[in-house]
Amino acid sequence: MIKLFKVKEKQRELAENASGGPPVKKQSAGELRLHKDISELNLPKSCAIQFPNGKDDLMNFEVSIRPDDGYYLGGTFLFSFQVSPIYPHEAPKVKCKTKVYHPNIDLEGNVCLNILREDWKPVLNINTVIYGLYHLFTEPNYEDPLNHEAAAVLRDNPKMFESNVRRAMAGGYVGQTFFPRCI
Amino acid sequence: MFFLDIGVSLPGYVLCLLKEWHAVASWTWDAQDETCGICRMAFDGCCPDCKLPGDDCPLIWGVCNHAFHLHCILKWVNSQTSQAHCPMCRREWQFKG
Repeated sequence: MIKLFKVKEKQRELAENASGGPPVKKQSAGELRLHKDISELNLPKSCAIQFPNGKDDLMNFEVSIRPDDGYYLGGTFLFSFQVSPIYPHEAPKVKCKTKVYHPNIDLEGNVCLNILREDWKPVLNINTVIYGLYHLFTEPNYEDPLNHEAAAVLRDNPKMFESNVRRAMAGGYVGQTFFPRCI
Repeated sequence: MFFLDIGVSLPGYVLCLLKEWHAVASWTWDAQDETCGICRMAFDGCCPDCKLPGDDCPLIWGVCNHAFHLHCILKWVNSQTSQAHCPMCRREWQFKG
């Protein structure tokens, strides 16, 4: 067995020298696990993942979600993911880059999703987080709000909430706040 | 080097000389799953912080019967400020004796 490892090592060294490049940086445990998560992604058609920094930086990526049902049908919402080297012992840091009128997402883009905070556990993965985000758009929840105004409208007057969401997504004001178009 | 005696006194039999032999053994952890839910590496491999599988990177079971690499679950239970829970079933994590 030991001999086998040595042979492998030799081959790797030879390959590196042949390519002339610097030796491959050792991946952290977090990167290793993230790699597996990404290769096993199984996303619905409404979600897509992008790597704006290229394949050398997998720890920072973006996910766009286009809900195909519910109040947010037709909108496109961009999220940034920041994955720490100690992933999966720490949840990825997720922010919403699209300004959205939503009870569980505030105007700075902070997202209130249980599995990103108190209910995170290391057997979860990037796929489950994306499904969680998708779920926020199909089932906005007024019981655990970050945008209290939007939550109150959803609770007391769902019809008005619906028209507020449409107005915000089309690009316009809801109350004093302007929302750029995202349809 | 040793001789294998298979009865040289009988006609028609030959004396065998065993020049070399390789012992081969295989082992596996006796777990239900094949991979650790925390690092997603094979149980028969090791956690990402170790180099070689085996006794230096053992599996450990909780009373809830979920298994993980010892190093993976220790990192998790030590990182939780309050009570530690099993990452699979959220039951209180206790090592199975």
